[in-house]
Amino acid sequence: MKKFPPLGKPKRPGRAAVEIRDLSKRFGAVAAVNHLSFEIEPGRVTGFLGPNGAGKSTTLRALLGLVQPSSGSATFGGLRYDELDEPSARVGAVLEDASFHPGRSARNHLRVLAITGNHPPHRVEEVLSAVGLSDAADRRVKGYSMGMRQRLAIAAALLGDPQVLILDEPSNGLDPPGIIWLRGLMREQAADGRAVLISSHVLAEVAQSVDDVGVIADGELRAQGPLEQVLGGSDGPATTVRAQDPVRLTGALERRGHRVDRDGDVLNVFGATPEEVGEIAGHERLAVLGLAPRTRSLEEAFIALTGVQS
Amino acid sequence: MTALLRAELLKLRTTRTFAAVVASAAALSLTLVVLGAALGKETKAHALFTNSAITYIIVILGAIAMTGEWRHRTITGSVLAAPNRVRLLAAKAISYSVAGIALSIIVTVPTIIVGELVLSGRGLATLGAGGIADVLWRNLAVAALLGPLGVCVGALVRNQIVTVVGLVIMAAAIEPAVFQAVPEVGRLLPLAGAPGGVLGGTHGDLSPAPALAVMVAWTLTIFAAAAWRLRSRDLV
Ligand SMILES: Nc1ncnc2c1ncn2[C@@H]1O[C@H](COP(=O)(O)OP(=O)(O)OP(=O)(O)O)[C@@H](O)[C@H]1O
Ligand SMILES: [Mg+2]
Repeated sequence: MKKFPPLGKPKRPGRAAVEIRDLSKRFGAVAAVNHLSFEIEPGRVTGFLGPNGAGKSTTLRALLGLVQPSSGSATFGGLRYDELDEPSARVGAVLEDASFHPGRSARNHLRVLAITGNHPPHRVEEVLSAVGLSDAADRRVKGYSMGMRQRLAIAAALLGDPQVLILDEPSNGLDPPGIIWLRGLMREQAADGRAVLISSHVLAEVAQSVDDVGVIADGELRAQGPLEQVLGGSDGPATTVRAQDPVRLTGALERRGHRVDRDGDVLNVFGATPEEVGEIAGHERLAVLGLAPRTRSLEEAFIALTGVQS
Repeated sequence: MTALLRAELLKLRTTRTFAAVVASAAALSLTLVVLGAALGKETKAHALFTNSAITYIIVILGAIAMTGEWRHRTITGSVLAAPNRVRLLAAKAISYSVAGIALSIIVTVPTIIVGELVLSGRGLATLGAGGIADVLWRNLAVAALLGPLGVCVGALVRNQIVTVVGLVIMAAAIEPAVFQAVPEVGRLLPLAGAPGGVLGGTHGDLSPAPALAVMVAWTLTIFAAAAWRLRSRDLV
């Protein structure tokens, strides 16, 4: 497997693996992507999140040279996809609804790609076994299940041992072991110093495997950064507290300027850390039965960022 | 480019359609020639062996292959593997030129051998070596140009059924009708007119060399149009 040049290291250290600059794409009257800018770094898994129709696939297709941007650019270390010397050794991509000629087998399909990309024939066997398709490799794709097709698409993306892996909703059709395997694969690739970009409309699906996220809605970037930071939101600390006397504690907190949502004996306190809430309760000699920082749920964060109700 | 061409040829060799069509075309034209030579009044060997039916098959095969990229939605994968779309189209066109030549050899050579045997058995005139070479180059040249033409028309139109039906109507109805009405125009048309001239057909056709030049011009023009269109097309 290591007969390949050390692709893990970015060619120009410090340069982002993928740079999207002020990218816009219109389809007639539809602004699918609107002045979008973001970067992804080598050695990290970046989630590209947004509701249906947000413009994720369009962005990725522009990045891969499949659609022409109306304005702006999307490059790999400064080079457009079609300017890359050996595209399949630099970038591997799994697109939505991956399609194959139904009459050809997985092995045949990969052999054609290996010839096109100048990859040695043994890579075909390696990626087939990596995705668990070795046994079915000579069957015609026509008879494959959706998950098997998805695995074949992933095998094709891995064929050139690329530095950048781009996955558009790759867990479509994968069974739970397949999803776990895919997570492991993404982590491994990132640990090797490669950049991984995975799109999804379900935050929970990728939350376990991404380092960074970019959130897009209506073609515009809504948030970007490390996952925890984006999840934390911008409304400051919040605390959940259970009190023996919720009414009096609410009064005490509100007198000090905190907003409080009461739900039975549970209070959600905004703008205060657990320490502050505990101190206030102690000062008022009120018994506290439970105290914890309040984190937004994944869905709450997603909805808050994209403004879309599920 | 050579890698791309090798990849396209591998695709061609390993899809069943191509093998099946080649086999049936060979069988069909062999049967026709045997019947024609054994029973027919047509005893002019040259006319018997310049089999234009084969040439239409390669134009259709090229068209099916290229439109199949859209029908099976494999065009995005093909362009990802080979982002230079003009080169991709060129590789496909050249591979169908090679395929046309292969098809033509597989069909024509046994046909000539068997036909000559039957003709000489009946005591009729056969083609000499020069005559055979003449028949061969005409068939090969037409097939070598019509394969890429089918590919490029497919890349322009994209819809498989529309392309195939359109090509058949053009070759079998429109071009012959134009030829009837205005031979000077009809003989310049790409699917039946100019190929007819190369194959050395009827009165009114162009002679082979200019006919070949017209075919080359058609193929290059349609290639240029298809390449220009493909370059700017959004693949979604
Ligand atoms: N070829 C096209 N022609 C017209 N409009 C298009 C085309 N492709 C995408 N769009 C529009 O662009 C917008 C963004 O679509 P896109 O497929 O990028 O969304 P997405 O984020 O990938 O959504 P999903 O989660 O459903 O895959 C949508 O409004 C869509 O209707
Ligand atoms: Mg999408």
